[in-house]
Amino acid sequence: MSTDRNYLTPPEAVPLRLEVAGLGARLGAQMTDILLTLLAAVCVVILLSLLGATSPRALQAIVILLFFLIRVPYYVLAELAWNGQTLGKRLMGIRVVSHDGGSLQVHAIVLRNMVKEAEVFLPATLVLMLDADSPVFSLLALLWVAGTLIVPLRDRYNRRLGDLMAGTHVVFLPKPVLLPDLSARAPSHDRFPFLPHQLDHYGAYELQTLEKLLRAQAHGSPDHQAATRDDIVQRIRRKIGYADPVPPADSQAFLQAFYNAQRAHLEQRQLFGDRRADKFHASGETSE
Amino acid sequence: MTHSGDQIRSARFRAEREGSWRRLEQLVTQAEARGLQAMPFAASRDLAALYRQATTSLAIAREISLDKALLEYLEALTARAYLTVYAPRARAAGVITRFLTQGGPQALRRSWLFVLLGFLAMALGGLCGALLYLDDPEWFYVFMPPELAGGRGPGASNEKLLGVIYDDQAGQKPLGTFATYLFSHNTRIAIFVFGLGVFLCAPAFVLTFYNGLGLGAFYALHVERGLGLDLFGWLSIHGVTELSAICIAAGGGIQLGAAVLFPGDLRRADALAQAGRDAVKLALVAALMLLVAAGLEGFGRQLIQDRTARIVIGWGIGALWLGWALRAGRRS
Repeated sequence: MSTDRNYLTPPEAVPLRLEVAGLGARLGAQMTDILLTLLAAVCVVILLSLLGATSPRALQAIVILLFFLIRVPYYVLAELAWNGQTLGKRLMGIRVVSHDGGSLQVHAIVLRNMVKEAEVFLPATLVLMLDADSPVFSLLALLWVAGTLIVPLRDRYNRRLGDLMAGTHVVFLPKPVLLPDLSARAPSHDRFPFLPHQLDHYGAYELQTLEKLLRAQAHGSPDHQAATRDDIVQRIRRKIGYADPVPPADSQAFLQAFYNAQRAHLEQRQLFGDRRADKFHASGETSE
Repeated sequence: MTHSGDQIRSARFRAEREGSWRRLEQLVTQAEARGLQAMPFAASRDLAALYRQATTSLAIAREISLDKALLEYLEALTARAYLTVYAPRARAAGVITRFLTQGGPQALRRSWLFVLLGFLAMALGGLCGALLYLDDPEWFYVFMPPELAGGRGPGASNEKLLGVIYDDQAGQKPLGTFATYLFSHNTRIAIFVFGLGVFLCAPAFVLTFYNGLGLGAFYALHVERGLGLDLFGWLSIHGVTELSAICIAAGGGIQLGAAVLFPGDLRRADALAQAGRDAVKLALVAALMLLVAAGLEGFGRQLIQDRTARIVIGWGIGALWLGWALRAGRRS
């Protein structure tokens, strides 16, 4: 589990799932940041010049300062203030984390954003400046751009050079949503009794697929779902050798009861060290 | 049979802990919206405690539960809480003070070799520039971009050169604008030189060398006209600080490149991360020095017209930097 790139081990030593952010989301965040900061800077300048509160000379100084600030300093300050997020990252729902699972250090934030000057801003400027008249320059520029793009593409964690240096990577922010426990609304065991050998056929994968199906039952057209449900009931009955007929009206209740019994059984087996990943568990070599 | 006896084990596990998870979720949302610092003591204490409980819950749930909804919720909740609990907690003022009194000078001392290489690049460039200019004045136009030279070149008269050095139109230029421009321009160059270092040292070294070339040619031009000492004063007042800053930034860049080229027993990514710790501090020192240099150049150079005063101030400040780098932040 710890070798999975989507897991990070915090000091508590329980690996946490933090999915590595895709390059698309990161590119989007970067574009958003550039656009937003540029827009903000331009707005401030226009506002100041409209108000006429400053002399042209002072305005010139402010413009230079603003356009300096929206480069590296903005990213450093934003990531410090918003816990590893800039405005663009907030919109995209991504965040910088420390690669080793520790606390995100100030020096890491400073470093990863400083390298941005050579890694993001320079290639972006070069692409904008591409000129057909000077092929050597264009070739060099393209090589550079390719070089900076290859690093995150080849890296397992999609880290760019700045991330590599600072020991960080970027993850998607997970959203905790607690759905109600399905087993809570199960009818009593007596109505659909299952024998232990009938519950030996399926594994965790099938159980969780059934869970997904039962949760999805709440939405969608009832007719269509009733047919699907009935079909599934018949398949399960055939597979486990459940002799009693189940009328279509009871199929929901049957699935619910089966889910409960199956989950209790599998969890019990798991406690005894018998993890069953899927229905092929009996054939020896399984995926896990 | 009681109600809880009816439930399967993992459902009971969930029912017992759901309250504290909900509370944690609420605290995390609160901390994300308002920041940890703004939270009352009891809340932040609960946050840390509940987070650790939740990691335990997660570890247990992975073992005993097959409820996908529960597992996914716990995974997301603990991850989210982790991000809040291990958020950067440094305050800006503390960070700056610590950097000035310890981090900066210590990093300079630790990577003295790379800083030296940065200075060496500049000095070599200067030497080559001067020799090449003395060989053939045409080189001047190769090294110095015309907008930087400001009309000063082999074709300019002595009076013109002197006029720039001892500014006859002092006070007419908008000092503030010029200083801000220089600061943002030079800082970007320093960050640039630094960031480029990672591409195997060469760009940082070459860029610094190139800077030195221009400087050397420029200096040789003035020496040839017998204005060497005047230019020395003109350059000293801010140049000691500014050129040192660029050399230090280059040193940081070279350090990064060296980590890529010679990672030793470490993997390249790890070596880079390790070199980055000090290198970034060098770049920050350089940015700080450039800020000072811009102030000196914008105000000092135009307000102080005396040659000796310029030299004294420039090198005096240089000595202060050196003293800071050598003495500050030593453990007693």
